[in-house]
Amino acid sequence: MEQHEMEITISKTGEIKVHIKGAKGKRCLQYAEWLKQVVGKIKDQKLTSEYYEPEVKSRINLDVDLKTDSDQQ
Amino acid sequence: MSTVLILAPVIISNWPAITAAVVGAASALGFVTKQAVEQEVRQTGGQEQKAEQEIEVELPESQVLSEQVATDQQIVVTKGAIQIIVKRDERGRCVICAKGKGLSKTELKQAAQQFTEKLTQCFIYDKVLKQLKQKNFQIVNEEVTENDDIRIHVRRWEE
Repeated sequence: MEQHEMEITISKTGEIKVHIKGAKGKRCLQYAEWLKQVVGKIKDQKLTSEYYEPEVKSRINLDVDLKTDSDQQ
Repeated sequence: MSTVLILAPVIISNWPAITAAVVGAASALGFVTKQAVEQEVRQTGGQEQKAEQEIEVELPESQVLSEQVATDQQIVVTKGAIQIIVKRDERGRCVICAKGKGLSKTELKQAAQQFTEKLTQCFIYDKVLKQLKQKNFQIVNEEVTENDDIRIHVRRWEE
């Protein structure tokens, strides 16, 4: 489970500043796209170090299991 | 740290959503909603009248969806001698008109500008909050800063 956070500041002129935290890589860009659809045009975007962190993936290595099964037969 | 975005507001909505933001802005700035549809009453007679000035400010990047509103529909709010009228023009844009007797064009422009900004802020706040709830975000904190900025801190868990 990942915790995604957003700090949204709506200035008195209506300009919006959003700080997206916890969402890495593509997920972060998906939030940016969603916000663009909700409020308006993106004037500026800064990607910080977390954006470049790899997304956490879980993987089962089927090759090992298959080899083990065929060896036994 | 992850990403920081700066977005410019675009107001494209139906008339009820804009009306809600107008009421919110009026309330925040001390205006009173006069009437949903203006019925202009002209004062005539022997009373001495001060010259009435009028100024119009177009809400940039706005569009009022036409199926919800007739072009002549408008909402009027007042505060002292200032009257603010929010309406949809022929091109579908949202227009804020300020008028008042005994006030200079500069004063009226300032009032219209202030109202436009507050209206935009209220509209964006309403829309963002609605969308955040739909995305299952929980509000951690919400505050209005000394500069009149609205700060919302939200969170959600995702697999």
